[in-house]
Amino acid sequence: MVGLSQYLIVAAALFSLGVIGLFLNRKNVISILMCIELMLLAVNINFVAFSHHLGDLGGQIFVFFVLTVAACEVAVGLAILVSFYRLRRSIEIEDINTLQG
Amino acid sequence: MANVTFPFPFPEHLITLLPEMIVAVLAMVLLLIDVFITKGNKITAYLAILTTLLAAVATWSLQSSEVLVAFYGFFVFDQFAVYSKMLIFIGTALGMILSLEYMKNEVNIGEYYVLMLFAMLGMMLMVSANNFIIMYLGLELMALCVYVLVAYQREVLRSNEAALKYFILGALSSGMLLYGITFLYGVTGSFNFAVMGEALQHTDSNSHAALMLGLVFLIAGLGFKVSMAPFHMWTPDAYEGAPTPVTAFMSVAPKVAGFAILMRIVADLLPAVQHEYEAILTILAVLTIVVGNLAAIAQRNIKRMLAYSTIGHVGFIMMGLIAGTADGFSGILIYLSIYLIMTMGVFAIIILMRREGIQGELLDDFAGLSRVRPGYALAMGLLMFSMAGIPFLGGFWAKYAVFMAAVEAGHLNLVLFALLFSAIGAFYYLRVVKYIYFDEERVAFNFVESKPLQATVVAAAIGVVLIGVYPEPLMALCKQALGGLI
Repeated sequence: MVGLSQYLIVAAALFSLGVIGLFLNRKNVISILMCIELMLLAVNINFVAFSHHLGDLGGQIFVFFVLTVAACEVAVGLAILVSFYRLRRSIEIEDINTLQG
Repeated sequence: MANVTFPFPFPEHLITLLPEMIVAVLAMVLLLIDVFITKGNKITAYLAILTTLLAAVATWSLQSSEVLVAFYGFFVFDQFAVYSKMLIFIGTALGMILSLEYMKNEVNIGEYYVLMLFAMLGMMLMVSANNFIIMYLGLELMALCVYVLVAYQREVLRSNEAALKYFILGALSSGMLLYGITFLYGVTGSFNFAVMGEALQHTDSNSHAALMLGLVFLIAGLGFKVSMAPFHMWTPDAYEGAPTPVTAFMSVAPKVAGFAILMRIVADLLPAVQHEYEAILTILAVLTIVVGNLAAIAQRNIKRMLAYSTIGHVGFIMMGLIAGTADGFSGILIYLSIYLIMTMGVFAIIILMRREGIQGELLDDFAGLSRVRPGYALAMGLLMFSMAGIPFLGGFWAKYAVFMAAVEAGHLNLVLFALLFSAIGAFYYLRVVKYIYFDEERVAFNFVESKPLQATVVAAAIGVVLIGVYPEPLMALCKQALGGLI
């Protein structure tokens, strides 16, 4: 029988993978976007698990909002990334280095 | 005529959303108008300012001493929301006024003002949120618009880079915020602040770990948005790279919204875990004050310096949250109001410094200002003194209000620590005054003439002096504005 804690562990693992990927990743920005997506999906698993456990629909409703907003977020992020690529001709993380101090 | 019956009770107090509806509808109308406007026309800017004004009038005329709740407890309209929204309106309107000159050569400038209006709409929803769903949607609406505003100068590399960094860290912070909310939801079974606060009073020790996890992630997520250390990394880059009016806008309005929602959460949701959140916030406040005031000393770019100065101010404002009393909350509102005036004045002067081939953002560019423009020099000097917290200027009373509240709540050590760093922080503000008054002119001054900018500078300088001499009305106003929160 799969209980609440199993779901929470999976979600926590996914969330940690997302955060670790965000910080350790040294290649390019697209994989950062994927890590952010992973974090948000872990959050969704948590919401659905809690919602089912508590017998309350609120959590599942929140999931729809999170999914929608995540789509908007990636759209805006990719737009900024395209605009950055036009000027810099690169999306390597090492090349995001004009501003320092 | 047949009786129309709704399948569900019709939302009460729908009228309290009038300001939000005005902004949403007029922003979309503006987007349409913009299609027919030729380049260089400022009509969209004026219409956007007018929209802000209309929303402010609507909010003001709707205010009442009661707490009105609309949409089944999702949306709350009280004195506190009214006052926070007024600060947001003033911040946004001034941000638009500062943009008039600076952004006039950008393409598609109408969209710029529409984005500002939508960001404002997000902030309005945030301060009226009584529920995590509305709070999250308002926060994201604000954040997504501000990312794009930061990147608005598409042909400038540092503008794009700033937006990219801001976006990545902002998205990370939203993820953390949501992860925190999931655990608080799991413990309490609701998203409504008051219901959750009630449920937290009766939690058992089993759910304590989940509760703490939720609390830490929630504070970290919101801390990102108001740039608390150690979640402040995006602030200097985003401030430096963004177009200066956007920097002015995002250093004021989102901070007001962020602190408003933090205050609501602390007041409604967290009384049951007061010791825990006090401990977390105290550590963060100490870090924030240290980072903000020390790192600012090393900066040569004034926008970057002001970013660290903002972080320092955020540290001081957090002391009001730690106090958690009515005085602490009204202290935060006083601080935010005075901070708004000072910041807008300073950024207006920085925009005036931009001239042929020079951004006017380096400290060196200010050298010898007093000999060429004694008026600007005086205003800049007054605003810097006020930010440093020199007595009998506005900034002094801001610090006084939060420090006194923290002392009364029994956080004497923290206040002494903050006072020490406030003295260290005075160094870099006074250094700007030294550049202006005692250094030789290094680059030729050749100012743009812009009435709105000059008016903002004059108003800000008069504002800090007036509040400094006669702070009682503002203090009374901020005390009254807590109606509905406590």
